[in-house]
Amino acid sequence: MSENILSVKNLVIHYETDEEVVEAVNNISFDLKKGEILGLVGETGAGKTTTALGIMGLLPTRVGHVIQGSIELDGENLLEKSPREMRKVRGKKISMIFQDPMTALNPVKTVGDQIAEVVLLHERCSRAEAMIRAQKMLAMVGIVPERYKDYPHQFSGGMKQRIVIAIALACEPELLIADEPTTALDVTIQAQILDMMRKLQKEHNTSMILITHDLGVVAEMCDHCAVMYAGELVEYGTVEDIFDNPQHPYTVALYKSIPSLDKDVDRLHVVPGMVTDPSNLPSGCSFSDRCDKKGDMCNKHEAPGIVDLGNGHLVKCLKYKPEVEEK
Amino acid sequence: MENLIEVKNLKKYFSTPRGELHAVDNVSLNIEKGKTIGIVGESGCGKSTLGKTLMRLHNATSGQVLYNGVDIANMPMKEFKKDYRSNIQMIFQDPYSSLDPRMNVLQLIEEPIKVNMKNLSKIEIKEKAQEMMELVGLAKRLENSYPHELDGGRRQRIGIARALSLNPDFIVCDEPVSALDVSIQAQILNLLQNLQAERGLTYMFITHDMSVVKHISDDIAVMYLGQVIEKCPANEIFKHTIHPYSQALLSAIPIPNVHVKKERMILRGELTSPINPKKCCRFVARCPYATEKCHNEEPELRELKTNHSVACHYAEKFM
Amino acid sequence: MAKIHTPAMEKIEKRNAKRKKPVKSTPTTESWKRFKRNPTALLGLFVVCILILVAIFAPLIAPFDYQKQDYASMMQAPSMKHLFGTDQFGRDIFSRVIFGTRYSLVIALFCTIAAFFSGGLLGIIAGYFGGIADTIIMRIMDVFQSIPMIMMAMCIVAVLGNGIPQLVAAVMFASMPTMARSNRAAILRVRGSDYIESSEAIGVGQIRMIIKHMIPNAVGVMIIYFVGFLAVSIMMMSAMSYIGVGLSAPTPEWGLILNDGKAYLTSAPYMMLFPAMMIMITCFAFNLMGDGLRDAFDPRLK
Repeated sequence: MSENILSVKNLVIHYETDEEVVEAVNNISFDLKKGEILGLVGETGAGKTTTALGIMGLLPTRVGHVIQGSIELDGENLLEKSPREMRKVRGKKISMIFQDPMTALNPVKTVGDQIAEVVLLHERCSRAEAMIRAQKMLAMVGIVPERYKDYPHQFSGGMKQRIVIAIALACEPELLIADEPTTALDVTIQAQILDMMRKLQKEHNTSMILITHDLGVVAEMCDHCAVMYAGELVEYGTVEDIFDNPQHPYTVALYKSIPSLDKDVDRLHVVPGMVTDPSNLPSGCSFSDRCDKKGDMCNKHEAPGIVDLGNGHLVKCLKYKPEVEEK
Repeated sequence: MENLIEVKNLKKYFSTPRGELHAVDNVSLNIEKGKTIGIVGESGCGKSTLGKTLMRLHNATSGQVLYNGVDIANMPMKEFKKDYRSNIQMIFQDPYSSLDPRMNVLQLIEEPIKVNMKNLSKIEIKEKAQEMMELVGLAKRLENSYPHELDGGRRQRIGIARALSLNPDFIVCDEPVSALDVSIQAQILNLLQNLQAERGLTYMFITHDMSVVKHISDDIAVMYLGQVIEKCPANEIFKHTIHPYSQALLSAIPIPNVHVKKERMILRGELTSPINPKKCCRFVARCPYATEKCHNEEPELRELKTNHSVACHYAEKFM
Repeated sequence: MAKIHTPAMEKIEKRNAKRKKPVKSTPTTESWKRFKRNPTALLGLFVVCILILVAIFAPLIAPFDYQKQDYASMMQAPSMKHLFGTDQFGRDIFSRVIFGTRYSLVIALFCTIAAFFSGGLLGIIAGYFGGIADTIIMRIMDVFQSIPMIMMAMCIVAVLGNGIPQLVAAVMFASMPTMARSNRAAILRVRGSDYIESSEAIGVGQIRMIIKHMIPNAVGVMIIYFVGFLAVSIMMMSAMSYIGVGLSAPTPEWGLILNDGKAYLTSAPYMMLFPAMMIMITCFAFNLMGDGLRDAFDPRLK
């Protein structure tokens, strides 16, 4: 097997304000192998974006704090780097694509300039060279290179997301984090963008973390999948593990609650209650209040540990650790 | 079965600085009593405008909307408000922005009752609102909460309670679940279905999500740039899609199953502008099968089989 | 794996333990919470409160009668007896500035209220009805605005004469366009929101819409403009008094005191220094408060 490019260990991230502490990410660990795509799935408040921002070193200042853990990229702990060093890492080694292409682009600069800017920032080359690179990048994401002189508002939503991807890939990063890259787009455009992302990822052998709430996108794009709930990684495994043999009650319930195109059901399966509020976590298992397989110990015990079901299929549920219940 | 709503050649144009925007262009639909019609399409296809025109939040440019045989699109606003407003209601897309942030839950649900049923006393209004809260599954203790304290699912329940409190028989649901999390989406969809079964409601369900629309609808109309291009029963569309756009739309949906690796029909290009459209097939710029004829002639919506109509010159070829 | 406990969490837990009842969260309490957290805004509020107290208790604070001329002690530099010194008639400048607070604050308040009820109301009408009403009102306001504020005010005083009502009228007319514009924007923003459309869908009538939905939601922004405008009014009033078209002597209005002192700027700079500082501090305080209110009512406007 190829080596790990990214390795996150015991990461805990809190948002602290005067009013409350939001436990956004609670002790998650995962590895990403070179050239693989990891899908990070979960609902609002699951801590997907926070994890990504933590890796990028872009947590909101003063409010966001990494409480513990390590994030190693190519064996170097990113959390020990100074802001200055992180700036060099961002854009060059790791890039991020945000959900809304509109806010990610500067409206008063031409798209060519915006791509060239990243290149100039990280690579030693002349402006002219950077500009040529920018045009190449545009061509790569399927936009006529002649349009490098156009401004963002002259492009449609799907085209803008292509440009954002071009900027992210301009320096051929080793790791690309895509945060809901297609959520704001129509399905037909989403299909185009996903198709293109997969091609580019194969060509450049980029590793990728794909954050999404759409299980369909994960099934189509990813090699591994991590399901997050209330800041915890409740299940992790290959997409085959997760989709064919889901083990955590949350994952199982999530599948049942999506309407399916090929099956007819009268009523959908319902996960009762609200999405758990990360500023007010229950004791024990965070999902216990909504879980249909809840046992007596789920609330009393401390948060369940991770159990390996074999082949790296990890589940965080007391169901799989009966010896704890006897204690 | 009788039709509750009949839409006939409905047009809604907006004038913009760049020309006339054909948001809804010559749409005709029949909606049976107690059934759900799903309107699917991508952003900008006019599906929301269609819903809002039925609601008379927009005035139609031309065409008719018959409610139990009465044309409600062209009657004076005053008469519509007095006699028909309560019968036709709407659930809005964004539960975050469609509720007045300065009103609490009870005030929000009391409002439609207060405004429309003037003969009720304060206590009766409150009782009715509490009844509505119970109906949509809002706990009594939330009465004094403000929308900003609640999650999306509960806010959407407030929206549903507001619409239902007037005892409507037709509800336009404008993307009611697209802003919600998957696990909450199922709760709301089930609630809508249960309410329909209990009260014999008729829905127009507007969404961009094919799997949701398939789950909830009896009939489906696919819209593209202001026009209905395919219309058929819900099961039909997933088995025997005819229009190339519907096919592309279906094939674009990512399926949550790792073993289904489907051949995808990737459309080139983006939606064409709905401003001053030419007389041709609206889909021509993105259609892989377009011919000379498609560029010059606008296809009509033709009934190919029972209850299955398609607007495409070469529909027979794709059957 | 045990849940992590951080110092920040402990702090909040301790504070929550002290609170008996959880604070009810309404949009208004949320705004107040945000305001409380903003130190500069609180400073502004504090200074404004002191100024109001000074205005109310002016006779108790001022050591001398602000009108009393004392030819034995003319043009004295600041001392323990005359904190801000005395003017060319031997009047105590400290007392005059203290009483000036009354005039300046009250007149500024009247000016702002007048502007609000004329320009503001026009703006609300223009914003709500739109169309032709909007065009007509806003074009008239454009014409108004093309005349410099001070010049406009001067013309009005020239026609109507000196005096407090005239001054108020002058400031009102001069500030009408700005007031109309900002209130129109506030209404337009509310008008375009989804909850107005959803209220329309359940059959809410025009009057209820304005009273129950639009005004409550626009009022925050309007308060921001109101407070900001108090500062502008004080500046305008002082400027007019200073050039001699506002109030007439011996009213102890800050602009007038400045005017008195301008002949002695080189020999007795303190005569202008203190009233000028008062004007500055007051405007500064109102602006700080206004900014704080803006952040409190509408964090997105920043």
